[in-house]
Amino acid sequence: MGTQHVVTMLPGEGTGPEICEAVRLVIDASGVNIKWEYEDIGLDCLEKYGTLLPDKTIQNIAKNKVALKGPTTTPIGTGHKSANVTLRKVFDLYANVRPAKLIPVLKRPWDKIDILNFRENTEDCYAAIEHMVSDEVAQCLKVITWPGSYRIADFAFKWAKANGRKKIYCVHKANIMKMTDGLFLDAFREVAKQHPDIESGDIIVDNCCMQLVRNPAQFDCLVLPNLYGDILTDLCAGLVGGLGFAPGANVGDGCAIFEAVHGSAPKYAGMKKVNPSAVLVSGIMMLRWLKEEAAAARIEKAMFAVLDERKHVTYDVGGTAKTDEYAQAIVDKMHAKA
Amino acid sequence: MPTFTEVAKATKKKREIKLVGVDMYIITEKGTPKFDDIGAFKCEFISNRGTKVWPGFVSPDLLQVNWYRCRFMATKEVQDAEVNAFLDALTKGGWWWSAAQKLWTYDGEPGFSKAY
Repeated sequence: MGTQHVVTMLPGEGTGPEICEAVRLVIDASGVNIKWEYEDIGLDCLEKYGTLLPDKTIQNIAKNKVALKGPTTTPIGTGHKSANVTLRKVFDLYANVRPAKLIPVLKRPWDKIDILNFRENTEDCYAAIEHMVSDEVAQCLKVITWPGSYRIADFAFKWAKANGRKKIYCVHKANIMKMTDGLFLDAFREVAKQHPDIESGDIIVDNCCMQLVRNPAQFDCLVLPNLYGDILTDLCAGLVGGLGFAPGANVGDGCAIFEAVHGSAPKYAGMKKVNPSAVLVSGIMMLRWLKEEAAAARIEKAMFAVLDERKHVTYDVGGTAKTDEYAQAIVDKMHAKA
Repeated sequence: MPTFTEVAKATKKKREIKLVGVDMYIITEKGTPKFDDIGAFKCEFISNRGTKVWPGFVSPDLLQVNWYRCRFMATKEVQDAEVNAFLDALTKGGWWWSAAQKLWTYDGEPGFSKAY
């Protein structure tokens, strides 16, 4: 066994625990040496701790600096702060990296999609500055800062370069929001000057949406402010097969949390019915972050093979396998290849 | 015949509005501000880019800019006169502020968000 990594496991709620157990089964079978430390997060914490994100969980992530997270649900329209947004804020996980790559066996109308999205994760309308400024008017401050914009652009160019990418576009609405999106675009252009080996440009967000659905193959990497990023990364996930296969990483300078971006599907909780692939591919991203490329590639290859055979796949991709049966099939495939 | 605006406004229930505090947006290069109580107001939290930086845990990696939201809650019943005195005291105390936002409750419910 190689170097031991200590990783915080956040199973979340609803179907999260059964998904995370399936994912752990696969990752542990890949040959990587991980000590998992389980911590609570999400709606189930409310009764026990009075918060969606207990301090004990925060302290554990602060210690381990890497976590794998299952799905959680944020109550709509109540006073509870989102556990996801709180994690991003507390650990300043400013870069949300969301790859959108075609999985070969999932039939889609396009031959090629391989987009790497870099969403700024901490600013914009997510700064939690909202007021009822009169009894008829609600106001939300869109906060864009030069250091925050510069930082995500710098992160994106460096990540892109390290992964052999060729082209980065900044997505914005600076023709209307000249100060906020204008600042974001100016910072991007400033960083781009330092990376002449990577083609850079910009595109207005509404045009970008149209171009994505008409010809997604033209895009390589996108850098987006928080709100556009939230929306367009799901759009990109939809292009390649839906949120069930969409990985995500929230990365800061001192910590990284890998998570699926889909919900917790509470109506299926305990039925072992749902597809764990999104958390699994997030786990593969995590393994690459931990420099465990061999284990990551092994899992990825086995997962594609199991999906291709379609004998042991979950209902959403036309099969009847349970969550853990799908995971076991991936494990068996890895061992068969060994 | 009522106008559309009148019809729309009539659907919104009138609520009792009460002044309970002020969000102050302070510009400083000296790091997270510290405040004693000022008149009828006490500082409840300070956030930077929407993240709470006082009180409580702050990541050592947290990016901060020179613009802080400082939430001051009233410690007693207040009116605009107390807010004016508070702003005057803050300015005389050397604080450079970009904006002030009064905080109201509507039928007892906060009309303002918490910080993360």
